[in-house]
Amino acid sequence: MPDGGKLLDATNVSKKFGEFRAVAGADLAVNAGDIIGLIGPNGAGKSTFFNCLAGETVPSGGRIVFDGKDLTRASPEAHARAGIGRTFQVPTTFADMSVIHNVMVGAFLRHPHRNDARDKARAVLELTGLRPDQPARSLGTPGRKRLEIARALATEPRLLLLDESLAGLTPSELQEAIALVRQIHQSGVTIVIVEHIMEVIMTLTRHVLVFNQGHVIASGTPDSVVREPAVIEAYLGRSHRRPPPDPSPANGGG
Amino acid sequence: MTKILSPRLVIVVLAAALLVYPLVLSGAFYRDIGVTFLLAAISASAWNIVGGYAGQVSVGHSMFFGLGAYTPLLFYTQWGWPPMAAIPVAIALAIGLSIVIGMPTFRLTGHYFSMATIAVAELIRIFTGTWDFVGAAIGLQGPAIARGWWDLTFRSELPYYYLFLVVLAFLLAVTSFIERRRFGFYLRAIKSSERAARSLGVPVRRTKMQALALSAAFTSVAGSLYVIKTGFIDPDSGFGILISVQMVIIAALGGAGTLFGPLVGALILIPLQSATNTWFGGGGSGLTYILYGGIIVLIARFEPGGLFDLWNRVAPGLRGALRKRRHA
Amino acid sequence: MVFLQVIVGGLLLGAIYALFSSGLTLIWGMMNFINFAHGEFVMLGMYVAFLVVVWIGGGPAIFTLAAAFALLLLGIAIYLSLIRHVIRGPMLAQILSTFGLALLLRYTAFYIFSANFVSLPQTWLAGTINLAGIYLPVAQLVGGILAIVLTLALHVLLTRTVMGSRLLAVAEDRAAAMLMGIRPDRMQMLAWGLSAGAAGIAGALMATAYPWSPSVGETFGLIAFVVVALGGFGSVLGSLYAGLIIGLIQAMSAFWLGAIYKDIVVYGLFVALLWFRPQGLMGKA
Repeated sequence: MPDGGKLLDATNVSKKFGEFRAVAGADLAVNAGDIIGLIGPNGAGKSTFFNCLAGETVPSGGRIVFDGKDLTRASPEAHARAGIGRTFQVPTTFADMSVIHNVMVGAFLRHPHRNDARDKARAVLELTGLRPDQPARSLGTPGRKRLEIARALATEPRLLLLDESLAGLTPSELQEAIALVRQIHQSGVTIVIVEHIMEVIMTLTRHVLVFNQGHVIASGTPDSVVREPAVIEAYLGRSHRRPPPDPSPANGGG
Repeated sequence: MTKILSPRLVIVVLAAALLVYPLVLSGAFYRDIGVTFLLAAISASAWNIVGGYAGQVSVGHSMFFGLGAYTPLLFYTQWGWPPMAAIPVAIALAIGLSIVIGMPTFRLTGHYFSMATIAVAELIRIFTGTWDFVGAAIGLQGPAIARGWWDLTFRSELPYYYLFLVVLAFLLAVTSFIERRRFGFYLRAIKSSERAARSLGVPVRRTKMQALALSAAFTSVAGSLYVIKTGFIDPDSGFGILISVQMVIIAALGGAGTLFGPLVGALILIPLQSATNTWFGGGGSGLTYILYGGIIVLIARFEPGGLFDLWNRVAPGLRGALRKRRHA
Repeated sequence: MVFLQVIVGGLLLGAIYALFSSGLTLIWGMMNFINFAHGEFVMLGMYVAFLVVVWIGGGPAIFTLAAAFALLLLGIAIYLSLIRHVIRGPMLAQILSTFGLALLLRYTAFYIFSANFVSLPQTWLAGTINLAGIYLPVAQLVGGILAIVLTLALHVLLTRTVMGSRLLAVAEDRAAAMLMGIRPDRMQMLAWGLSAGAAGIAGALMATAYPWSPSVGETFGLIAFVVVALGGFGSVLGSLYAGLIIGLIQAMSAFWLGAIYKDIVVYGLFVALLWFRPQGLMGKA
């Protein structure tokens, strides 16, 4: 693959809304097979950056290159065709359609014929453990988040962008979801995940970007990043500039 | 009970009923209602493609109907063509118009599209009333006496009935065809959430344009069928807002976005309209439209999915109650 | 001289367009919702004025206030019973709700008042005034000026009062407004009352100067769409400029092309706007 093996290369991405600078010069390099976390307080710009990567927001500056193609100004549809899939922070399933029909909409991208799309959808549903024939609106929030992942998976993405897809779950649901994400990753999909839940970040991701006020203030492995004073300050304020307790699951989580 | 009401059986029975209706009820009054019903079902089913399935609510669809109505009579009046020969021209014009409307509005939110449809329909209606070439306020007339079979001027309602029935069947077949294919899935996805659809690679704008073009083409055909039967058109009967209203209410009442919703809506509304017109006499059309307005508001407020949704909500309860009765 | 007359007449009517369109744009800005029955609100304002004159013989001040008040209540009632419910639902329900309402109001008015054009009996606003060689009906002049004043007042209300800032906060960011203790539902209800009230006043003002029938609602509704599209969805000040411009264009079209064409030009302008500048002069798309 061109570009020195990078699957996604976002350089100096910035986004202004009027006078307000939501993202100021963020860089992200993703290699195939990575699993990367984006964290930061609310309003820090990570969601805007995420939307730039997904094609929903056009950056004011910078470049986003995916698999050798410049997608900086490309539409969300073009992103999907190029091989980027995404979920939404607030689940946006097709409520009037059944679970399998939801997934088929995604499957149709690579399988224009209905029977092929249906087979693909069934396969994805088996992987994610959802029952095909129930109406999407009868699912609770965890089910909908799972359905969104399934639906995006059906487009056969090389890069999957997960937007807080593991939020609001009970502890056992969370473990199942983590296992699912891991399984997806192992099947060859590169993942970028926006998340607030420290356990997810610590256990799943290998590299983390921390956003604050539109800038990337830290970048590194999860362990190193949580100890950085700038990160602690961003989350907890200046008075808390000392290392946090060990946030690994054995100690009860962050 | 459920076996008796199997969908396939219902369709067969319905089709059979429609086929023999004008032979069984052969009075002029019944045949006339039958033809009106079929025409309304065709128009509403055409609207349904873009308004029901894709969720793009056009409230000015009369613009396509009027085009389909005016073009054949124009070609007849100006160049002596048999009206039906100009139908392909009408379809092409309707598709062209749909592109003009769709291109700018489909990149904006749904309300723009709805506003544009009503504005353009009115624009065309008023303009037609000023243009002598198309008969201005007086309108156009078709062949009074048939020059041959191709003028399609029949004495009896019967041939019209079966002609319209064939067109309706064809339209429903086309709708059913797209419903089960990728295009139909994409339409419903767009209706549900354009944002999510985009993220899955659905070419939203192009799909909407295709739906509108298809809908416009069939609506135009409905207009052509109308003039072939009545032999007369003027700005109000071609482009009037009430034509748009009727399409919308019939589809919405039965169930917008379902295959047979428009048919059911027409089955209820056309006889109803005929009844209110006779009861209320001269002031009939006024009261009929008060009724229409009220029905539309009620549908919007309580049951946007129309009778189809209502049935789905109520039927399981009914079935359960019936079963209890039998086993009691 | 005649030309100047046409211009002034157009501007005065345009001022009234601005007044009722400002209500429509307010609703759009707050709720991303288009009221297809807005023209009927104006029409009802005219008939309220008519009824007040016929029943109690009130003068312009009285019937204008009556129209304002009646429509304010109607706007609130419609919001509470209908709009509040459909706003969260599918697009079909949203569009049909006010579209059906428009039909309901329009044909009920046809039924009650018949399709004949009516006008108000002479009030103290009767007669024409000679301003620098232009002959203007007093009613038109007063109506136009009052309309401009009221539209500006609405703008000031929105931008410089506490209540106005609350309304704008809901328009800007509902979630944030809620966090600040503002209740979006209340604000939206208020906006509907204001919007309908403005339309009612505009109707009453027009009733003093022009004849009408229930059919005018449809035309005014479309004119409101054009004004809002030109001025920018959500901008009251934009409605003011746009209303005056549309009034002017309409008057000039009638003068040069003939009365039949005045609406065609305006609707044609709307289509052109959709194509080339949907965000209008001053608004966000």
